[in-house]
Amino acid sequence: MALRLRKFLDELLDVLKEDYPKQLSRLIQDANGLTYLQVLDKERAVITVRNRRITITGRAKKKEINVRVYISKSCLFDVLEGKLTLAEAFETGELKVFGSPQTLLRCYAIWERVISLARTSPRFYFLTYELR
Amino acid sequence: MFFDRKSRVFGLLNFAVHGNPYDARRGYGAALAFLVGPGGEIHTALKLIPLGKLTISPYNPDFIADEVAVSYLGDSFTIKGKIDDVSLDLKVPVILPPVTMNQIGLDILSKNQINRGMLGAATEMARVWDKWVELPRLSVVGKIRAQGKEYLVDTTTGYQDHEGGRFDWGTVAGWDTGVLLCDPTSAGEPERVSFLFYRYGPSGASSYGGIIVKTASGVERFFGSEKVTVTKSGEFSGERAYLPGVTRLLYPDYRPRVPATIVFSAVDSSDSLEITFTPRAVCTIVVAGVSDEAETTFNEMCCDAELKATIGGMTYNKLIPCWFESVRPRGRFDDPWL
Repeated sequence: MALRLRKFLDELLDVLKEDYPKQLSRLIQDANGLTYLQVLDKERAVITVRNRRITITGRAKKKEINVRVYISKSCLFDVLEGKLTLAEAFETGELKVFGSPQTLLRCYAIWERVISLARTSPRFYFLTYELR
Repeated sequence: MFFDRKSRVFGLLNFAVHGNPYDARRGYGAALAFLVGPGGEIHTALKLIPLGKLTISPYNPDFIADEVAVSYLGDSFTIKGKIDDVSLDLKVPVILPPVTMNQIGLDILSKNQINRGMLGAATEMARVWDKWVELPRLSVVGKIRAQGKEYLVDTTTGYQDHEGGRFDWGTVAGWDTGVLLCDPTSAGEPERVSFLFYRYGPSGASSYGGIIVKTASGVERFFGSEKVTVTKSGEFSGERAYLPGVTRLLYPDYRPRVPATIVFSAVDSSDSLEITFTPRAVCTIVVAGVSDEAETTFNEMCCDAELKATIGGMTYNKLIPCWFESVRPRGRFDDPWL
């Protein structure tokens, strides 16, 4: 059975705490103030970064959310496996992102950092594939 | 590596362990396939395997995982299973015995005038590579399925190299290596043509290597760097693939330049050689360092190699399929072909 989104994010956070504490501190610093809604197929998770802490919950007040990302699992893995570019995913509507341009740019830098980290961390990689 | 001349299928399969093999947090297995079909179509696949689900040993060439397994028994490999959506069912009997890096090095050092470049590269390679060995000729028989297509393979032009120990990525400046996948039973073809130009030193500016040609009658010639001229021209614009997939996500505009043609020319007394390589398909693989941010780019190329040579009185003029691998640290050196 595939891993649930919130469980995945909790375990991902544990991997980062154990294996990459310095990179995690940097990520928290960059993401401070974000309330990020991630929708994966029909699952929802809200990642809140405040005061050097990350919390993962199921919901948040609408006005507090400053980034919303909607993606399907098939699109996520097509993008990760290079079968689909980000531009193509946006064009087909399989990836939808809402937020102010400034916040989205911050998010892009964070995603880049996380993806780079995923390439060097087998635990991160294998955990991601448990979502499938 | 193999190229079946009847079905015109090229295959590069790689089975490796990256990082620390004793630590599941820092190590993993990887199985990779780069296939080029008769129409030039490319199929690529990469599957990472947790160390806990992989059977490997430095004393045995087996690489056994649930999805895909390479096993060695009775002078023959069996490759069976799936790498993502590429399905493999191959028998790979060994035709010629293995040759170690030390054997090749000592042979070159004993038969040629020793120079500084030769010693520098030999010292560096002996330090970085632990138990490198090549199997110069293999039979490859079986079938491969990819994206709904089935390819039948039956060839004796297979080649394998194997690093059975530790390999230190940290200081590697790269290399250009390859093998002409010769069929010595075909008229006008040598037994073997292979090459390696190894880059080393803090800035990667030091380089030494050469081309080895062996005729079907057993005459062997080595053309060292000092006798070889390498000319690159044009820019390859054919079929390309990138691995792993996140390379395209992280570096959407990354397209390392690959020449349209590469020519090696060499003369040594009565022997001469000219090989013109024309890449048909390229797979760029970006390998991320495990302990730092360094990345290494592999350009794996399926080429046509036009061989014009006179070796030991034998004259060659033939188009031979070839595997060419060009390796560089990504973005570290100011190289026009990076």
